[in-house]
Amino acid sequence: MRRFLFPAPLLLAALALAACSTPLYRPSSGTTPSQPGTTTPEQPGSAVPEPTPPATPAPVPPPAPPPRSHRLSPATNALVVQARTATSKGDFDAAAATLERALRIEPDNPLVWIEMGQMRLASGDPVQAENMGRRALALAAGAPREQASAWQLIGFALRARGRNVEAQEALQRAGALVAP
Amino acid sequence: MKRRTKNILKNAGIAVGALAGAVAVAFVIALFYYDRQVAAQFEGRRWTLPAKVYAAPLELYAGLAFSTDELIAELDRLQYRETNTLTRPGTWRRRRGRFEIAVREARFSDELRPAQVIALTLERGVIASLRDARGNDIPIFRLDPLLIGSIFPIHGEDRIVLTPEEVPQMLPAAIKAVEDRKFDAHHGLDFEAIARAFWVNLRAGRVEQGGSTLTQQLVKSYFLDGRRTLGRKVEEAFMALALEARYDKRDLMTAYINEIYLGQQGDRAIHGFGLASQFWFAKPLDELDTAELALLVAIVRGPPYYDPRRHPGRAQQRRDLVLRILAQQQLISAEEARKATAQPLGVAARPSGGYYPAYLDFVRRTLRRDYKEEDLTEAGLSIFTSFDPRAQVAAEQALESEIGRLDKRTRSDEGRPGLEGASIVTLPQSGEVIAMVGGRNVSFDGLNRALASARPIGSLVKPFVYLAAIETGRWNATSVLDDTPIEVPLSRNNVWRPQNFSRNANGPVSMVRALSESLNLATVHLGLDVGVPKVAQMFTRFGLETEPRALPSLLLGAVDLPPIDVAQMYNGLANGGFHVPLRAVRAVVNEQGERIGAYPVKVEPVAAPDAVYQIDRMLTYAIARGTGRAAAARLPRELIVAGKTGSSSDLRDGWFAGFSGTHLAVVWIGYDDNRPTGVTGSSGSLIVWQKIMSALDTSSWQPPMPESLEDLPIDYASGLRVTTGCSQDEVIVAVPRGTSPPFLAGCAPPSGIGDWLRGIIR
Repeated sequence: MRRFLFPAPLLLAALALAACSTPLYRPSSGTTPSQPGTTTPEQPGSAVPEPTPPATPAPVPPPAPPPRSHRLSPATNALVVQARTATSKGDFDAAAATLERALRIEPDNPLVWIEMGQMRLASGDPVQAENMGRRALALAAGAPREQASAWQLIGFALRARGRNVEAQEALQRAGALVAP
Repeated sequence: MKRRTKNILKNAGIAVGALAGAVAVAFVIALFYYDRQVAAQFEGRRWTLPAKVYAAPLELYAGLAFSTDELIAELDRLQYRETNTLTRPGTWRRRRGRFEIAVREARFSDELRPAQVIALTLERGVIASLRDARGNDIPIFRLDPLLIGSIFPIHGEDRIVLTPEEVPQMLPAAIKAVEDRKFDAHHGLDFEAIARAFWVNLRAGRVEQGGSTLTQQLVKSYFLDGRRTLGRKVEEAFMALALEARYDKRDLMTAYINEIYLGQQGDRAIHGFGLASQFWFAKPLDELDTAELALLVAIVRGPPYYDPRRHPGRAQQRRDLVLRILAQQQLISAEEARKATAQPLGVAARPSGGYYPAYLDFVRRTLRRDYKEEDLTEAGLSIFTSFDPRAQVAAEQALESEIGRLDKRTRSDEGRPGLEGASIVTLPQSGEVIAMVGGRNVSFDGLNRALASARPIGSLVKPFVYLAAIETGRWNATSVLDDTPIEVPLSRNNVWRPQNFSRNANGPVSMVRALSESLNLATVHLGLDVGVPKVAQMFTRFGLETEPRALPSLLLGAVDLPPIDVAQMYNGLANGGFHVPLRAVRAVVNEQGERIGAYPVKVEPVAAPDAVYQIDRMLTYAIARGTGRAAAARLPRELIVAGKTGSSSDLRDGWFAGFSGTHLAVVWIGYDDNRPTGVTGSSGSLIVWQKIMSALDTSSWQPPMPESLEDLPIDYASGLRVTTGCSQDEVIVAVPRGTSPPFLAGCAPPSGIGDWLRGIIR
């Protein structure tokens, strides 16, 4: 078996290094108002009769949310490196066990799921590879670079299953996300 | 006359000769027969080696939130001792705020880690640095995996097998001195001892002294049941001779040390000195001192009679006798004997590692699919699990204390069994079960309710009704539902009239309120509109094997599930719509250290992440202000959690299922005989759940919001839009982008500006 069918690990390694300059990913609270004072306007033709508008100051437009970015903690990174060594030797069970240690430390980091998916693809399990790509995609909301990596993984996994049209679509999405 | 006499004598001689010959032949045949029997048992696998089950090792790394107390508790659990000099593995010391730990050699599923010294510093509850003996940073390090139990066969033999090198030298010498002084010289039987025992017993008129050699004791334990008949004695003697003829003394001594019966815990029979050391002293055999070794040797004579926990007086008397014999035989000095005699028994209050029958049952059921029973109970496998002793203790204590409190309050009919309960804790993203409690008496190896008690889930079904609705695209959190009385015709003369828990109907309500407050009428209206079959399909989509019948009563949870199935379904909600099969076992390793089984994580998308996100967000309101608010009051204010209560009709069952960002816990409370409890899910089970969550080091539920959704502030009761701060009763729900319900009266911004803003942002 070829070791890697695609250069995504290199891309990821580069991302992991590049991401050192960006702050650690901290998701914002999901249930508190993200922008106080932000409102969306009433639609024309609304069913509710609107009395005199309250004398509120003009709402401030919310700034576009900055793209999130993820990186691996030093502990997780060490495990990912170790897992890659195992994968390159074809010891997929060991690689899986090591990546699951990383998963337990950072269960919400899409990079860990992408890494697991790549390992599964290398081990000949494109179905799990695709599913893990989709798990990563859900965790990468708002983070275009990680979404691109996830779509790329999904694309290669689909291609490995012979679903070339969908694969092409996924790879195009990946390309569009990282395009300048 | 003479001739006749001669003939008789001659015939008698022939008869005697023939008899002697026959006896000799029979003796040889018997020896041969027993030799074969003994050999069959001894060769190959000499002991049945129950699979050893290990907890998840604790991962240490810089940045981990970890207090000094937690570290010391963990080292204590692993039986590490504090010393001044780190002379041997299994010790630690503290030097100016720095912990130095001499870790033991440890086997993991993927490596054999050699013994080594590590050093770590803690600052403000976080690991600040982690280094090896040469001062180099280590990115991550696993402490030893804790042995949490073994999978022993039906007849209950459990043991830890030791090699001769692992046995302290004193032990065989002490065993010989006390049990069989001629062991090194005899051929299996000690006739002098038998004669002496016979004489002593005759004079006493009862069996006071046994004349058995170690070999005979070994045979008795190995091959025979406990009956004491002459036939057995003879058989035993033959086997002892056969054993001695075949094997050397060292092999027999090792067999004895691993075989002999030394204690009992429920169905579990403690065999061998290795396990006995853990069982009585909670530490490994090579760390026992003279007095402790002497006590183990003392127990050999009769584990129930000399049980040091139940009969400390007897046990101490016999231990001191053993110490005197050791001094007489000059195995220890008189001084050492005196000091040891002055020592207390030093028995641990509870056997080490605790006893986790429910979790082990789960492990065993998992493995039964892939392994033969004998492999598990005999082949010496090592099983690595995701068990977390900290979470287990939290789950046990929470359930025990709350059920104890409720039982006092609710119990009116004396004599009937008390309230029961079960709980399960998982890591949602990986599907790993980290704790399981199967009943209030956690160390009772009986019914495992977490797996076996299928009970009606009640309102726990509701999130799946609402999920089916949201998936259609016709509903969202702001949708107005109809909480009014409804009649559902079931058959010709049978009409179902569901009611709200409060017996009141609320009229039009927002979906977020209907789910948070678990309104039955609104749910039935909604579910019938969505279609009951879509709800029934949720059960198999979220990982269960069978789909319940699509009857209207399913909408209010008239379906019986055991807690493990509820945990499986809610795990999919906690994991953003991805099904991960729940599992306890990570890997299985054979006696040679090779990995022979792996159970890696598997994921499968089963519901759209944005639909599940909307449900989860609503479930945070069930805790913040709905049926789960009693928990919110006792949890840290900043902790965001989501969850749902469930109660079956007449309050026979009280459920709570809920999750944070890192943990899912499911709790059930009820009676085994299905009596009404008088306790709702929002009292008993919710409190247990809250206590478990409080004890875990858990993080908020706050996954990134899917890009197809946006936050929308609405009025909780009506679902109408508000501007922030304008309603007393505002909640922020997640809805598909562009969802724009009408504004609440008095809450709209000046018209026009919003549209203009939208244009700019988009």
